[in-house]
Amino acid sequence: MNEPIIRLQNIKKYFPVRGGVFSRVIGHIKAVDNVSFSIKKGETLGLVGESGCGKSTLGRTILKLLDPTGGNVYYKDHSIFETGKEQLRCLRRELQMIFQDPYSSLNPRLNVGEIIGESIEFHGMASGREKQEKVKYMLEICGLSPHHHRRYPHEFSGGQRQRIGIARALSLNPEFVVADEPISSLDVSIQAQIVNLMEDLQEEFGLTYLFISHDLSMVRYIADHVAVMYLGKVVEICDKNELYDNPLHPYTQALLSAVPIMDPDLKSNRIILSGDVPSPANPPLGCNFNPRCRYAEERCRVEEPELREINGGHCVSCHLVEKR
Amino acid sequence: MSDLLQVKNLNTSFHTEDGVVRAVNGVSFTLKHGEALGIVGESGCGKSVACLSIMRLINHPGKIEADRILLEGNDLLQFRENKMRSVRGNEMAFIFQEPMTSLNPVYTIGFQLQEAIRLHQGLNKRKSWQKSVDMLKMVGIPRPEDIADEYPHCLSGGMKQRAMIAMALSCEPKVLFADEPTTALDVTIQAQILQLMRDLKERINTAIIFISHDLGVISEMVDRVIVMYCGRIIEESDTRNIIKEAKHPYTIGLINSKPQINEDIEKLVPISGSVPNPLQMPSGCPYHPRCEHAMEICAEEMPEKMEVSSGHHVNCWLYSRKGDQVRQ
Repeated sequence: MNEPIIRLQNIKKYFPVRGGVFSRVIGHIKAVDNVSFSIKKGETLGLVGESGCGKSTLGRTILKLLDPTGGNVYYKDHSIFETGKEQLRCLRRELQMIFQDPYSSLNPRLNVGEIIGESIEFHGMASGREKQEKVKYMLEICGLSPHHHRRYPHEFSGGQRQRIGIARALSLNPEFVVADEPISSLDVSIQAQIVNLMEDLQEEFGLTYLFISHDLSMVRYIADHVAVMYLGKVVEICDKNELYDNPLHPYTQALLSAVPIMDPDLKSNRIILSGDVPSPANPPLGCNFNPRCRYAEERCRVEEPELREINGGHCVSCHLVEKR
Repeated sequence: MSDLLQVKNLNTSFHTEDGVVRAVNGVSFTLKHGEALGIVGESGCGKSVACLSIMRLINHPGKIEADRILLEGNDLLQFRENKMRSVRGNEMAFIFQEPMTSLNPVYTIGFQLQEAIRLHQGLNKRKSWQKSVDMLKMVGIPRPEDIADEYPHCLSGGMKQRAMIAMALSCEPKVLFADEPTTALDVTIQAQILQLMRDLKERINTAIIFISHDLGVISEMVDRVIVMYCGRIIEESDTRNIIKEAKHPYTIGLINSKPQINEDIEKLVPISGSVPNPLQMPSGCPYHPRCEHAMEICAEEMPEKMEVSSGHHVNCWLYSRKGDQVRQ
């Protein structure tokens, strides 16, 4: 139970910026920069951050859907970045993804049986009648009717499509699932349905999730540990209750205080950040967060802080944690 | 105090090839001077269409019908189109959901701002430009003189929404419709924009109709809330009552299905099923197929508006005497 199932080591993903007459590489956008963490079997790591902070890029890079620039990911004993194409294909059976947009992630020309059955057949798990049974079984555990397998994606609502996406990801009995904002395009009443479904399936199959989201209250509900990203870097990572009750990084503090709370009696002491997120093509010197930080000192503008452990697994990258 | 805006029995329907979609069904409410009213509901519940109908911004095949829509005693439905144009943007203004798509990409920010100012206030070119720069300054845009000369693509999402707010407030409207003004923005930017809107509301004393699906945002921004489902108002009360003592099963479900950031809960309670197809509305109460308390009468008859406590109205059979009789 306590073995890390997936370990990230200094993952980097840079996108080249081209310009000039010969469109030479004139710079890099550091979408993901030196990210390391690990997830234990059966646990959920919530990855939060604002749009453009690199959380989706990280999710895709882990599964090598994007070519990494550096670093390594270990799944059990396999290095995902170093295995060959053929072996990676076999490995992918155990590493699956649930996508953000249930409208564009399902092929409109295939019916649901084909969408879910395709990967079952490809990985040689079943074929023919057996495959059909498996598809029907998957539909049923994801809360859809088994005789829906002849229908096409356009016949379903957003929430039902997301269920199809989940059924497809889980049809191969994966161990590790990256869920990239699986609820952000759904209505409030449907979001709770999908999150509950994901939790039930996790219990049933012992799944490990990387749950990427910008919805901080939903992450508090589903995750065991939470990592906060800002401009391609993890700025804070720890146990979820520790993070929500005792955030140490000034960015996490501002982010959490910005979430509106449904309580008319509560007087919020909100930290309002000034300005926008800087462009990742031209990040500030020193600590990435220093132009918007209310505690920033001279040192923050020059020296980049490292992610370091403060107490009992609570890691923060800030020079001033002890001082404040 | 007299009512600023009074809407009585508003019905908006779209006559499509597949049939008639009744997007808004018998909606009535009033808005007082300087009040902030929230409209909550899921996508497709008719909250945006209701507001667009009040501004008469519904095109063919949509059709607006109402007993009356009174703005300070004048019936907007009787106005000719050119009279209506002098109301839009002047006495009533709209902040749209997507700042990215609602600004014209081929004109500068300043040009788009001064267009309304020149039209409604009759200022000359120089003065209206000056006024638009002042407005940009008021909504907290840095370097307003330079930004006025920029095109929308140069601005970030939060800045564009600030520019939209500047545009909406430039003629000091009496009623401001804000249609999910922060949904497309990140939480830290959302906090900035909400703070700005609260400050500006105090300063110019505009009445706001704030549309959102997020009860958290609503509870911070408004005094009174209307909950809509399938084009109908199902509950109406002041914000405190709605959040602390919600009565309609849908409102309760909406509150329970969203976890709160300040508490750790064991299990979420979602609303089962999904919103019905607008072309095939269920009979009786539109919520009854998803309602855990549904009774026989719910499928047969539409519940009427009931007052459960002073100013707290709910449309549900659970709270009516007629419903009591059925249960016994």
